[in-house]
Amino acid sequence: MKGIFKRALGVVLVALLALPALVVAQSPSKSGEIVLKWPCIWVGKDSKAQAVAEIVESFNTANAGKIRVEIEPQPDYNAYEQKVRTSLAAGVAPGDIFTIKLNATTKEYYQSKLLMEFSKELSGAWKSSFDAGALAQSTVDGKLKTLPFETAILPIWYNMDALRKAGVAAPPATMAEFWTALDKLKASGVYPMSQMTGDVNAWTSMIWFSHFAVSLGGQKVWEKPFTDKAFVESAKLMQRIFKDYTTPDAVGAGAGVSGGHFLAGRTAVFANGPWYAGRADLRATPFFPSVTIAAAPSAGPNKGIMISRLQANIAAGETTDKARRAAIINFLKYLTAPENVAKIAKSSGAMFAVKTNYLPEDALQKQFYTIAAASKTTATDLEAALGAEATLEFAQQLGALVLGQITPESFCAAVERKIDR
Amino acid sequence: MRRTKGFTAVATSILKWAVLVFFLLVALLPLCWLVLNSLKTNLELQTSPFAFPARPAFENYANAMAMANLPRLFLNSIIVAVGTVFLNLLVSSMAGFVLAREEWRGRDAVRTALEAGVLVPIIAFMVPYFTLVTKLGLYDKLYTLILVYAAINIPVSIFLITSFMRAIPKELEEAAIIDGCGFFQRYARVILPLSRSGLVTAGTFCFIYAWNEFVMAMLLTSSLSSRTIQLGIRFFTSQFITDYAGMFAAIVISMAPSVIGYVFLHNKIIAGLTAGAVKG
Amino acid sequence: MRKRRNPNAVKIALFLTPVLVLFTAFFVYPFVFTFVASLTRWRGIGAMRFIGFANFGKLLGDPTFRLAIRNNVIWALASGFVQVPLAALVALILAREPRGWKALRTIYFLPNVISTVALAMVWSALYNPQYGAFNAIRGLIGLAPRNYLGDPATALVSVIIQGVLYIGYFMIIILAAAMSIPRELYEAAEIDGATTLQQEFRITIPMLRGTLVTAITLAMAYGMRHFESTYLMTGGGPAYATTTMGIDLFNKMDALRYSEASAAGVILILLGTLVIVGIRKALGKGDPMAEAGQ
Repeated sequence: MKGIFKRALGVVLVALLALPALVVAQSPSKSGEIVLKWPCIWVGKDSKAQAVAEIVESFNTANAGKIRVEIEPQPDYNAYEQKVRTSLAAGVAPGDIFTIKLNATTKEYYQSKLLMEFSKELSGAWKSSFDAGALAQSTVDGKLKTLPFETAILPIWYNMDALRKAGVAAPPATMAEFWTALDKLKASGVYPMSQMTGDVNAWTSMIWFSHFAVSLGGQKVWEKPFTDKAFVESAKLMQRIFKDYTTPDAVGAGAGVSGGHFLAGRTAVFANGPWYAGRADLRATPFFPSVTIAAAPSAGPNKGIMISRLQANIAAGETTDKARRAAIINFLKYLTAPENVAKIAKSSGAMFAVKTNYLPEDALQKQFYTIAAASKTTATDLEAALGAEATLEFAQQLGALVLGQITPESFCAAVERKIDR
Repeated sequence: MRRTKGFTAVATSILKWAVLVFFLLVALLPLCWLVLNSLKTNLELQTSPFAFPARPAFENYANAMAMANLPRLFLNSIIVAVGTVFLNLLVSSMAGFVLAREEWRGRDAVRTALEAGVLVPIIAFMVPYFTLVTKLGLYDKLYTLILVYAAINIPVSIFLITSFMRAIPKELEEAAIIDGCGFFQRYARVILPLSRSGLVTAGTFCFIYAWNEFVMAMLLTSSLSSRTIQLGIRFFTSQFITDYAGMFAAIVISMAPSVIGYVFLHNKIIAGLTAGAVKG
Repeated sequence: MRKRRNPNAVKIALFLTPVLVLFTAFFVYPFVFTFVASLTRWRGIGAMRFIGFANFGKLLGDPTFRLAIRNNVIWALASGFVQVPLAALVALILAREPRGWKALRTIYFLPNVISTVALAMVWSALYNPQYGAFNAIRGLIGLAPRNYLGDPATALVSVIIQGVLYIGYFMIIILAAAMSIPRELYEAAEIDGATTLQQEFRITIPMLRGTLVTAITLAMAYGMRHFESTYLMTGGGPAYATTTMGIDLFNKMDALRYSEASAAGVILILLGTLVIVGIRKALGKGDPMAEAGQ
């Protein structure tokens, strides 16, 4: 008995201590084939999954024996973002190809030596296939370490069935029309709009606030201190909306609750990006054919500015191996080729920074494309402009603001303290 | 006197059952809700979370079963969970034995340090864990998860196991020493069997942790061969849309082994234990 | 008090080695890493820049973090002195093997098996002022609906109630210990005419003392690092009303404030250790087993 235990113990100890030694180093790929790993969020139930898989497949076939792109499925987006930042902090590139959501916080990644710089390769026809504004937004301190790919506009959504029933014929364009429409909706027995203060960004309310602030303070409003009049006025508008025109659960509600009210027809006005248009549950609602999107009513002198953002930028792991670098560029050129982007757009209804001739057939998705094309000027939303910390503070203090615990001025001062300049 | 006693007994009995029924409701509510909502469409789930579905959507289960590589992920999860329990209980019971039953200098400091590990918010350690695992070449290996989960559960297992081992009367051990038992035999023949209910409790915690863990699994693996069922469940969550109804169906399916494992552990093993304890 | 050298020193060392190797790799090294990072300015990219204890000063002066500490202390007290007593109550009832006790034991534990995501969703829905069950009950007795999770006055209590009602973990710890108390003790007490309640107070609770201290300590430790269910239900809001150190730490990592997140982690671990040691000292008195352990 004693012997058995001693031996068992010995085995465990040896196994524990020798584990690292047992591990074989990553075996080099066979016959000079370059394998590129792509930890990818467009997998599983994602609407882009199939098109992306097909593009990778056809690239691999065309480059058989030379380059092979391998998708590593990363289905949960938040966990994916954690993995990217953890990996970079540990000094390892998350993959040969990966995507990030570029905003004031993730711009920090541009400081990393682990990311490939594209400005040398991006020239000529390839460069001109991208939207110039998106490229400019993706350039930090003269460096282009990510390529803009998926974009989005964040308009206001109207359930026109409900609006018409309440006696409102068209989406309101001015604030006067806006308040009248909300009053009529309220009188017709629905809560006029979905609002929320939950999650890390108070998402749908953050979109509203961004529309107001940009209209009041102009396209470059985010460069101003948050104590600026444009923000204080926007905060006052939010207070009024929460007080009179939204659901009783809006404070503390997350995006799921906010969207759920719109889907259920409990609210008639909502804010979100193009991805929401592809939802099966939205399509199953009776009012789906009537859904109309528009810019928010102008709260200030700047009219018709659409809120847009970079939704996914493509990054690549830096390498000193020239062949590998060429392989990565090769694949990125293929992935961002207009015909392939159009293919992804077609299956998902998503919007891209690569110019294509594609126009969706689906009515709602088509509205997104036409409104985006018609917008003379765009500005980013609060989260993209100010980063994670300021956005979290915005969401948390929005609760206090609309409950009347703090004034619009102190609300703005609180957010200002969290802005990194 | 008799009447008062009878009254007290009835009152105690009513109170007792009130407590049991209350907690029964608290426990069953989320389970029933989960099963109910796994049979709805997403629209029904979002719009009226407490209503019955218009028509039970059994296709959610079909979708979950058709989920990519479900059997493989299932098998991996079982390997990881069983491996974690085995490795963790082996090392924790050895350490627990010398922490609870031996006198040596520095013991209390070691025990406090080990137990302070229960406080650690593991998410705060994501960067060092990732560094450690990649530097040791352990990235994307199934046994890495066993190692990491077994290690993460050391503090709580030490907590439970030492607590149970310390409660064993000294006399039993002394009797064994008189019978000629040495160090190893005291561990294997006296203390381990007598602290089996502590081991089962710690093992249950380990199993459930390993079965449900998601963050480290996502961080430390990238390929099918080393991924667990929790990552499969997340295939219902994409960047903008979560198919909650499908996800709930997958959760219900993935719960089954945990529940069966738990029922087995408790109703079979503990039954044997209590019999042993009475005899001892 | 100097202890004599134990003759089994080598064997003791041998038995401790596996745990110590794993603990060093997965707790000590990460803690040292975190502590070093907490003394620097580091956003997760490039080299760390040493700045001393500035992050600690900043955190302790931050009203949000101070609120988080307060909330964690409330969580710890609620877990230790509400959740564990409830678990003990149920465990003591089940230990007497009432009808259906095996099934009940399994069912009580089941919520611990299902994912926290699902638990958080069902409770958020229950608390919802529009379609939630609690407000439906309020409506029946003529009260206006309350936004439990959206009102800073009720949000913390609401998430804590959700947390402490799930007693499964502590119930099985206490039940396992209670079931191994020798039956003869109760038989003797019965002959002496002690009622059930008297038996519990005279026999069970004193016999379970060590286990209860363990359960309370463990529960308080979990309270100090509480994170997940609150994060899922309220995200720490509204207006930070339900934020905890764990949530703050997580948000700081999201904002790439790694050094401040590390400082938050160090404070959490140190405060928690104080709580563990303090509870042991306070509850361990008079218990020979626990005192031997101190």
